[in-house]
Order: sequence, then C-alpha cells, then structure tokens
Amino acid sequence: MAGAEQLNPLEQFEIHRLIPIEIGGVDVSFTNSSLWMVIAITLVTLFLTLSVRRRALVPGRWQSLAELAYEFIANMIRDNVGQEGRRFFPFIFTLFMFILFGNMLGLIPYSFTYTSHIIVTVTLALTVFLGITIVGIVRHGLRFFAFFMPQGVPIAMMPLMIPIEILSYLSRPVSLSIRLFANMMAGHTMMKVFAGFVVILGLFGGWAPLLVDVALTGFEVLIAFLQAYVFTILTCLYLNDTIHLH
Amino acid sequence: MKKGDSPSLDDLDARLKEARARKARPGEAGEGKAIAHRTGLGLAFRIGTELVSALIVGVGIGWLLDRWLGTAPWFLVVFLFLGAGAGIMNVYRTVNRLGLAVGYRSQEAGEDRPADEEEKD
Amino acid sequence: MPQLDSSTFPTQIVWLVICFIVLYLLMWKVALPRIAAVLEARRSRIDDDLDRASALKEEAAQALAAYEASLAEAHARAQAELRAAAEQLAAETSARQADLVARLKAETAAAEARIARAKQQALKNIAAVAAEAAQAATARLIGVNVGEPALRKAIDAAMGDEE
Repeated sequence: MAGAEQLNPLEQFEIHRLIPIEIGGVDVSFTNSSLWMVIAITLVTLFLTLSVRRRALVPGRWQSLAELAYEFIANMIRDNVGQEGRRFFPFIFTLFMFILFGNMLGLIPYSFTYTSHIIVTVTLALTVFLGITIVGIVRHGLRFFAFFMPQGVPIAMMPLMIPIEILSYLSRPVSLSIRLFANMMAGHTMMKVFAGFVVILGLFGGWAPLLVDVALTGFEVLIAFLQAYVFTILTCLYLNDTIHLH
Repeated sequence: MKKGDSPSLDDLDARLKEARARKARPGEAGEGKAIAHRTGLGLAFRIGTELVSALIVGVGIGWLLDRWLGTAPWFLVVFLFLGAGAGIMNVYRTVNRLGLAVGYRSQEAGEDRPADEEEKD
Repeated sequence: MPQLDSSTFPTQIVWLVICFIVLYLLMWKVALPRIAAVLEARRSRIDDDLDRASALKEEAAQALAAYEASLAEAHARAQAELRAAAEQLAAETSARQADLVARLKAETAAAEARIARAKQQALKNIAAVAAEAAQAATARLIGVNVGEPALRKAIDAAMGDEE
C-alpha cells in the first residue's frame, strides 16, 4: 500500500528547488514554482503574438480568442475605471493573464499551481494595493485621506467610522490575496483527496470518486477563470475609487 | 408609391443605422459581471473573505499595537471589534455593488457608470 | 502546510517579480499594440465601408428620385398630348358636323324651292288642263263654245275659292 506521503493532499504544494541559486545569501533558486511561472508567461506571449500574426480582417479561431481577451479587459477597464484607466491597461491585462494562466496550468496533471501559494498572492495583492494607493496620493495629494471620512455621517460618529474605514481599506489586499490563494488551494486539495479515494477504493469502488474528480476538474476550470476575473475587476474597482472619489 | 417601389433601399437604410448604433453602443461588460458574481460558491467565498480579511487586519493591528505599547489585551479587543465592524461594512458594500441588498435599486448590466462606494452609506 | 514554509518565500517573490515584469514589458510593447492595430484596422475599415454604403445609398436614392421624376414627367406629357389630340379630334368632328348640317340645310332649302316651283308649275298646268276640259265639256254638254278669256276667268275664280 502506498506510503502516507503519497496520499498527502498537501504534498502537491511543496516547492522543489530545481536549480539551486544563491545570490548574496538570498536563496533565489529556480523552483517548480518559477518553472511554471516561466511556462505561463511563455504561453501567454506565444498565444497573443502568434494568433494575430496573420492580422486577418476576418479573424480565425485563435485570433478571435486573442481579440476577445483584449476587448474583455479593455471593456472591463472602460466600464469600471473610465477613460483615465487606459494608462493602466497593460498592467491590468498582464495581471489578469498571469493569474488566469497560473490557475489554469495548475489543472494539468503533475504541474504546479503557483497561485496557490499565499506569498505569491500576497505579493500580487500588495503590489496592486500599494500601486493604487500611490496613484491616489500622487493624483490627489493630501486630499486622498478624505476618502476615509464617508459623507453623510454625523460628526459624533466620526471617531468610530474613520478607523473602520481605514481598516476596511487596509483589508483590501488581505482579502484579494486570501481569496485567490484559498480558492486555488481548496480546489486542488479537494481534487487530490478524491483522487486518493480512487486509489484506496480500488477497481470496484473507485469510479465514484473518479466521477467526482471529473466534475471537480470542470468546476475548477470555471473557478480558475472566475478568480482571475474577480481579482482583476476588484483591482479596477479599487483603482476607480482612488481616481474618482476624491 | 415611392416607399413601395424601393423596399431594398429602406431595408439598406435600416441596416446601416443599426450597424452604426451597434458600433456606438459600449460593450456589455455588465453582463459578465453579473455572470461572475452569481455562482453560489464564488459569491460565498467573496463575501466570506471580505469579512475574514477585515477581522484579520483588525486583529493583526490590534495585536501589533499591544506588543509595541505593552497594553495587554486592550488594543486587541478594540481592534477586534473595529475589524468586525469593517468586515461587516465590507460585506454590505460588496452585496450593494452586486445589487442584492434589500431596498437597493439595481445598477447592473448596461450601466456604464462605475459603482461608487461612498454614496451607498 | 508548505505554503507557510517561509524559506521558500524569497525565491518565489524574486521569480514572481521577474516573470511579471517580463510579461508586462512583452504585453506593453509587443502583444497589445499588435492586437490594438488589428482591431483599429478592422474598425476603420468598417467605418469606411459604412460611410461608403451610406454614400452609395444616397446616390441610389437620388437616382431613384430622378428616375421617378422623369417617369412622372413623361407620363404627364403623354397625358397632355393625348388630351390635345382628343380636343383636336373633337374640334374637327364638330366642324365637320356643322359643315354637314349646313350642307343639309342648303340642300333642303333647294329641294323645297324645287318643290314649290314644281307645285306652281303643276298648278299652272292644272289651270290649262282644266280650261281645256271645261271647254270640251261645255262644248259637248251644252254645245256652246266658251271663249278662252271667259273660261280662264271662271277657272281662276274656282281656284281662288279653293285656296
């Protein structure tokens, strides 16, 4: 019977150093996480550049997909941030594609989901949060902090509302990162658990968890897209808050 | 007699107008928003993480302040409550934006104006 | 939980930053401009086509209007000519009719004159015949030869009574 480690559903999240590198005492090895990040950005770039190589006026399948992705994000920015958001289009597009491909690639057997690590999602979320805050401060100066004083609140409630508003604002990167990380980790853990059941139940009982796993895979494809979408659209909304409401 | 003689011209005219209108109309991203937010599990996750993350931030700040100032559990308690309040406000705003709050007029698909948080207080 | 193994944090952060920046640069400089170019080309082509279509539609509408105008004009002209011809025909007809009527009247008058003359002639003949008959009759019946003037006087008186 297989050892306990092989049925450990959390084992799939372990980082393996493929090429150990150390610079200035800091470990910057090329790990499985890094590998799949590189694979993701390669695929994104290849997809987008090769599919529009023909620049056809009536697009074929791949070109339609690339145009669809472009317009999807462009519309999202235009609807949620407005015209000033056009400057941020490359960043938001990169963000969306990076998370989307990260989530999707994790569904390949024996691959690694780099978005299932809290440190990766925290870094992404913090970058977005700090970037947006800086944009807000640069744009509005010190009036930016008027954001924390909601309108229509009686003065007496202010000492209560201001800290709450600040906390709410600070909770944004936390919620962004936890949401993405938790979804990915929970989904993949469930799939691994049911896969373990398939092995345990063997030939006669194994078809039931196998069916569940098939359904889960389909569900996880949807979640992969959904979480990338939610992360991106929240970024747009937060950006809109900072740009417009001050 | 003129209209009856040239049905193809009128038809062409109508099609031209429709083609121009279709170009001028902004995209239907509102629909995508509605689709994304309607999955039960996705929605639950979103609302849950808003509440939990606010609590985490509140407790984190409270705990850090306690360690820094040595005031045993007081800041932790205060910020626990503040975090809970912030979390509930987060949930309220999220649900508002999705148009699910009670007594709130829907601002879903088709709206070009981005959702503003402040006016919903 | 492997995610909380903080020894892996630096490598993940470093490679995340590297990959994200590389992807950002690629998107910003290479991929997105190309897609934007394709979309822009299509949009301007569609705009051009729409403009040309509406220009052609205008032309077609104008051509149709001109055609229908000339058709109406030709129609009106044909009507006018028909009317003129009909009027002319009517005028000729009535002229000829009047002519005919006049001729008939003239012939009628001539005939009547002829009839009157004939009648006069006949009357004169009757007077002569009656005179002869009366002479013969008186000669035979009473054996008197009445003289011509007395005869004529008697007949004239008889005819005068009758008239």
